[in-house]
Amino acid sequence: MINLSALKPLAVRNSEGVVPLRVSVAAVISPRGTAESYQPLLDFLSESLGRPVELVQRRTYQETNDLIESGEVDIAFVCTSAYITGHDEFGMLLLAAPEVNGAATYHSLLIVPVDSPAETMADLQGKVFAFTDPISNTGRVYPTYLVHQLGFTPETFFARTFFTYNHDDAIRAVADRLADSAAVDSLVYDYAVERDPTLLEKVRVIHRSPAFGIPPVVVSPNIRPQLRVLLEEVLLNMNAYPQGQIALDNLGIDAFVPIDDSAYDSARDLLREVGVPSQ
Amino acid sequence: MNGTRFERWIYRFWMVAGAVNIRVKILGIVLALVLLLGFTVTLQVRALLARSMYIQLEEQAISITRDLAARAVDPILINNLYALQQLMIGTQTTYPTVRYVFIVDTHGYILAHTFQGGFPQGLIEANTVSADAYQHTSVLQTDEGQIWDTAVPIFDGRVGTARVGLSDANVIQTLNVITGQLLLTTILVSTVGVTAAVLLTWVLTRPILALVQATKAVEKGDFFQHVPQWADDEIGELARAFNAMTDALAKSNAERIEREQLRAQYVSGVIMAQEDERKRIARELHDSTGQSLSSMMLGLKALADACHVPELQRRAEELRSVAGQTLDDVHSLSLQLRPSVLDDLGLPEAIRRHVADFRKRHSLTIDLAIQGMDEGRLPTAVETALYRIIQEALTNVVRHSNAQTASIFIERTPAKVLAIIEDDGKGFNQSEIDWLDGHLGLYGIRERTELLSGQLTLETAVNQGTSLFVEIPLVNEKVLE
Repeated sequence: MINLSALKPLAVRNSEGVVPLRVSVAAVISPRGTAESYQPLLDFLSESLGRPVELVQRRTYQETNDLIESGEVDIAFVCTSAYITGHDEFGMLLLAAPEVNGAATYHSLLIVPVDSPAETMADLQGKVFAFTDPISNTGRVYPTYLVHQLGFTPETFFARTFFTYNHDDAIRAVADRLADSAAVDSLVYDYAVERDPTLLEKVRVIHRSPAFGIPPVVVSPNIRPQLRVLLEEVLLNMNAYPQGQIALDNLGIDAFVPIDDSAYDSARDLLREVGVPSQ
Repeated sequence: MNGTRFERWIYRFWMVAGAVNIRVKILGIVLALVLLLGFTVTLQVRALLARSMYIQLEEQAISITRDLAARAVDPILINNLYALQQLMIGTQTTYPTVRYVFIVDTHGYILAHTFQGGFPQGLIEANTVSADAYQHTSVLQTDEGQIWDTAVPIFDGRVGTARVGLSDANVIQTLNVITGQLLLTTILVSTVGVTAAVLLTWVLTRPILALVQATKAVEKGDFFQHVPQWADDEIGELARAFNAMTDALAKSNAERIEREQLRAQYVSGVIMAQEDERKRIARELHDSTGQSLSSMMLGLKALADACHVPELQRRAEELRSVAGQTLDDVHSLSLQLRPSVLDDLGLPEAIRRHVADFRKRHSLTIDLAIQGMDEGRLPTAVETALYRIIQEALTNVVRHSNAQTASIFIERTPAKVLAIIEDDGKGFNQSEIDWLDGHLGLYGIRERTELLSGQLTLETAVNQGTSLFVEIPLVNEKVLE
């Protein structure tokens, strides 16, 4: 017999004996997609470090950045512009970068529904545009840059804009004609098309940006140096282990490679030119 | 043993069922049938409905929880507890049967719940589900009744478990409402059934009661009873048969009465003829034979006076004495056959003379008392009958009873004449009386009494003497006239 009216205070969560490694992944794709694609990597990290690993997700890039700044997460997979912002604001540290198809770069792709007559950004005037995250390089900063080049601001150029908070939903918004166009991460787009080739019947790419530094793996500036070195070593040597290779394949990554902050200068210039976007 | 017990039950049932009248029986049958049917259908419908509703409840619990688990993945993954809470509250608002919603994380801690200000003890552990299962539903016994608690793993169990509890209060309420309505219908139908049964029993028992009444009338001798034939069914058939029976009874009764009258006329005719014949013989004896004997005596007297031969004179005197004796005998005989005093002086005097004569001839003490005879004479038939009855009774006393004394009491009232003849003789066993054989005297008495619509009562026992009570009414004197 359970008494539903006799309510007792809930047990306070005890601090566990073993502190898990807390990993954050910025919301490039949907939370569920993220959890599914990063699980092998998390398992590999847990096995390599001999301690549990916990995935922490947040809706926006900024929230993830805040977690890194406060040290609530040890290691994070962030977006390019989030890294630039974090680096410039509180000294977010680069750990490694994924290499995809032999390059540690990616692009912003301007996509429209497959039957749309638009061929350039200029054709999208007065249309509905879907941004991904307010501080996304490919999803917000680059298309804003293109609109500025035309002498407008997104508010005056587009009839209406909205945020989808991840690239998956931005692609879906265009495929479903909820938006007339969107700018998305090329890595996410390629991965999505690979998983679901029918997307090509619904959307097409009308513009491809110059290469930008790929979204990196970062750590908090307050991380213990030993852990930082250990994590770097594990990531960079992942492809040497079968489980590591499986984890990399699952993410569509060739390997993790060392990367320098200068790789993000082009993106940093763009961000500076557009100005730190506000929500 | 079983047989006798069964029989005893049957007997007890009949003790009760047989004691009530047919209206109650029919009413009972109708009421029992309607109630039995009503309650059976109600119980059956309730059981079927309950089963189906509980299956539906479980299916609803599963579908709500599955939906919640699917929608809770993203809020949990990005730690959006507010959205999670809103989702749960929304679920509870959308489905009123949802008693609670909560989410347990992989470590068994509550992420969010819809209880206000605390959490019930033991609820988390009350139901579990493995990560690869579709769902698991347990029925929990709580202070608020049964709760269908469904657990569904969220995101294949990677982030926790969604738990939704559905209360069966609505199911019970619906069941009670439907049961109540069915019972109400049963009661309404019972009322209609009872009304119909009352009408039916009235229709059925009305001819039966009429038959009972008519039968009672027939028992009392009214053979002209006819009952109406209400319908052409078995009871109608009975009514027709009854009417045919009363017709037949009436006919045979009429025939019987006619026969009785014929017989009475015949018997009275015989008696009258007998009386007349006796009267004629008595008169003949008195007038003709008596006159002849008197003449003979006168002749013998004259012969004796004229004859001087002593021998002849003596013989003539002897013959005259014999003739005188014979004349006395003829007188006595004619008196017995038909005392002219009965015709000339009436019953009291005739009886007194007969009694005096009887005393003289038999050694029997006879007390005689006659009352109420001063108001004129009785009808001739009654006088004759009473005279003959007393004559016969006294003859019986002398012939059979060895009695020392006898008494005769005659009383006349305006309505009847009562005659009581008693003796102190040896009496006899009443049950041995055979009215037709042997005691012709008694038979004659009864016959005369009944011809006058009178009543004969005989009281006797061995060594107790005998009493005869003869009552003759004076109102109905038509039988003999």
